[in-house]
Amino acid sequence: MTAVEAMASTLSRIDVGGSEVVVHNAGSGTPVGYLHGMVGTPPGSPLLAAAEAASLAITAPCLPGFSGSAPSTLTRNVHDWVFHLSSILDATGLTGGPMVASSVGAMVALELAAVRPEAFSQLILLAPLGLWDDEDPVVDAYATTPSMQRRLLTKDPNATAIFFDDPDGLEGDDLIEYGVARYQTRTSAASLVWPIPEHGLSDRIHRVGTPVTLVWGADDQIAPLSYLDRWFSALPNVTDAHTVADAGHLVDWDQPTEVATIVAAALQKADGVRA
Amino acid sequence: MKTAFFHLMPYPELPADFPETHRSVWVDIDPKLFDPKVGHRAYNDYLDELEYAASVGFDAVGINEHHSNGYGLMPSPNIIAASLSRSCPDATIIVLGDSVALYNPPLRVAEELAMLDNITGGRMVAGFPVGSPMDTIFAYGQNPSTVRERYHEGVDLITKAWTSDEVFSFNGKYNKLRYVNVWPRPVQQPHPPIWIPGGGSVDTWDWCAENDLVYCYLSYFGYKAGLHTMNGFWNRVRELGKEPNPFQGGFAQFIACADTEAEAWELYREPAEYFFNTCLHVYAGYADPPGYKTPNTVRSGVEGMVERAAREATARAEASAARKDAANDVATGGKPEPKGPLSAGPNQLTFEQMVEKGYVILGDPTQVTEQIHELCTNMNVGHLMALAHFGNMSKDLVKYNTKLIGEKVLPELRNLFEDEWEDKWWPKPMPTEDRQLRDLSESTLTAARGASA
Repeated sequence: MTAVEAMASTLSRIDVGGSEVVVHNAGSGTPVGYLHGMVGTPPGSPLLAAAEAASLAITAPCLPGFSGSAPSTLTRNVHDWVFHLSSILDATGLTGGPMVASSVGAMVALELAAVRPEAFSQLILLAPLGLWDDEDPVVDAYATTPSMQRRLLTKDPNATAIFFDDPDGLEGDDLIEYGVARYQTRTSAASLVWPIPEHGLSDRIHRVGTPVTLVWGADDQIAPLSYLDRWFSALPNVTDAHTVADAGHLVDWDQPTEVATIVAAALQKADGVRA
Repeated sequence: MKTAFFHLMPYPELPADFPETHRSVWVDIDPKLFDPKVGHRAYNDYLDELEYAASVGFDAVGINEHHSNGYGLMPSPNIIAASLSRSCPDATIIVLGDSVALYNPPLRVAEELAMLDNITGGRMVAGFPVGSPMDTIFAYGQNPSTVRERYHEGVDLITKAWTSDEVFSFNGKYNKLRYVNVWPRPVQQPHPPIWIPGGGSVDTWDWCAENDLVYCYLSYFGYKAGLHTMNGFWNRVRELGKEPNPFQGGFAQFIACADTEAEAWELYREPAEYFFNTCLHVYAGYADPPGYKTPNTVRSGVEGMVERAAREATARAEASAARKDAANDVATGGKPEPKGPLSAGPNQLTFEQMVEKGYVILGDPTQVTEQIHELCTNMNVGHLMALAHFGNMSKDLVKYNTKLIGEKVLPELRNLFEDEWEDKWWPKPMPTEDRQLRDLSESTLTAARGASA
C-alpha cells in the first residue's frame, strides 16, 4: 500500500446512542457500506485503499469494541450486536443501501437482515460465519497464539501487518494503549464467535430475502470452502458466488483489488436489475 | 500462620513420552489415556492422603476445581469436600474453590457450600476463582469477554443469598431468579470466609483489597517468582490505606521434605519432573483467549501463571521437536532417540532448576522450615497451601513428606504472625460440644448392614 492509498480514507467518530463509533470513508463513486471481519478496520485497511480505483465510495463503521469504537457493556448475546448494528446503520445513513460484510460482520449483518428486511438493498458477503456443521466445523480461530492466528486468517500472514504489528516509532504509553486497543478488537471478535459461531441463524435464514453475492477465499483456513455451498443452499436469494484464489478467510485483506472489482461489478449488476 | 495440605489430584500414569506425543494436558487431553482403574485408585489414595494430613498437624485440607485436565482430577471440589467433611472431623476444609461463572445459576454454589458448612459445623472456607481460561473459556465454553462480569455477578448473588434473611428476587444481567432462598442457611455468620485464588490479574488484587477478601496466589512457580505478584497485591492494600494483614494473603508452594537433603534429592526427582514436564504440558494457544484478561492487566504486562506455564511448555515442545528433527536428519538416520522415563529431556526442566528457582522447596525439616519462614515473611503470607503431594508420588512417599512437614516443620512456624495479627478470615466453627461427630458405633453399623442386606 502506498502512502497516498493509506491517506485515501478519512476517520470520523460519531455518537450512536451515547457511544462513540469510528467510521471510515474512502474512495469516490458508487456508495457502499463495509462491515469488517475479525481484525476490524484499522486505518489503511486494504479494501479502503482499493476503493478509489474501483470507483467505490466506501463508508465503513466499526462495531463496538472494534478499531477504536467504544466497547459496549450491554452486549450479552448476538441479538445485542444486531441492535448495535441497526443503530449504527441509521446513524451513518447506510440503512437500506448495499453492504459488503466480512466474517463476523457478515454474521451480524445476516442476523439483522433476518429481522429487519429493509436494512440492506444488497449484501456482498465475504466468507460469512453463522452456519455450523458438526462434521465439518468452522475452525476455532482463538485456540491459538496471535502469531498462529495471523497465519490462519489470511493466506499471506503479512497481509494483516497493520493490525498485528506495532507501528514504527510508537513508544511508551502510546505503544501500550495501541496494544490494548488491538486486544479489544480481538476481544470483540472472539466474543462474537464464542464458543461456536452459530447463534441460531439457520432457523431464521429463510427470512433473509436480500439479494446476496457470496465471495470466498480458496484457501480459507477458518471457514472451509465447503461452507460456500452451505450458504448457497441456505440463503433464499443468492445472485452470484465467487471463489478468490490465493486468499484466506479475510479475503479482502489478501486480495483487496479483486474483491473491490467483484463488489463494483455486483453493485453495477444490481443497478441494472433495478433499472 | 495456618497451613493447608493442598491437593491438585493429578492423573498419575500419563505416558513418559506425553510431552512429545500430545499437544496439551489440558482441554484436549486424549480421553483414551484415562484408565478408570487408575482413576479409582488415585481418588481413593488422594482422599487417604488428605485425611492423613489432617491427622498429623495440618490446620486444613485444600482442594480446587479443574476441567478436562490431566493434572487436576477435581471437576467438582464439592464432592471431595463432602467426603472430607465427614472423614476429617477437626480440620478446616478449604474449597479453593468453585468457579462461580460455570454454575447456572450460581445459586448452586451457595447451596452446596451452605450444605458443607452445616455438615462440618462451620469448618469451611469458600473460595471463588474466576477460573483459568482452559477451564472456563475452552472446557466450559464461557465467553471470554463476559466471564469476569458473570463471575462478579455470581459472587454478589451468592453472598446476598447467604446473608439475606428474606426471600428476594435477583434481576441480574446473566442471572434472573424470581425467588432466591438458600436452604440450608450457613452456620458461619454472616457467611463462610471468602478467599479468592488469583493467577495474576491486577483487577483481582484491587477487588480483594477493596473488599477485604483473602488473595491467594496459587502459583506453580514458587515463592521466588511469586514475590512480584504478592507485592502487587500488598501495594494495592497499602494504597487503599489498609493494613497489610498477612492473613489476607495466601500462597501455594511445592514442598519436598526428607530426613536428609540428600534423600530429598533422591526421592522427589521423579514426581517433580512428572509434574513440571508432563502435567504442565499445556498448549499455549489455550492460555490467552482475547477478553479473558482485563484491559488493566493487558496494560500492566503481568503474565498470568497458567499463561506462563503454557508458554514455557509450548516453547519446550517446539524446541524438542526441532531438536528431534535435526537429530533424525543428521545423527540417527531417522530413528527416534531413546529417552529414559525418569530423566528430564534436554528441553525439559531439571529437578535442580526447579529447586534453584524455588518452584520446589527441598531439604531436611530444618532447611524446609527456614525456607517456608522466608517465604511467608518475604511475601507477607499467613496462609500457606502446602503442596506435599505432586506429580506421581506414591502414597507412602506422600505420607512420609506430609508427616515430616506436619510434625517437624509446622510446629516451628505455627506462631508466625499470630501474636501481631488477627486472622479474620479463618472459619469460626460451632463450639466443639455442639458439633455432631461421625457415629461409628456398632449398633449404627449393624443397622446399616441390616438395611443393605
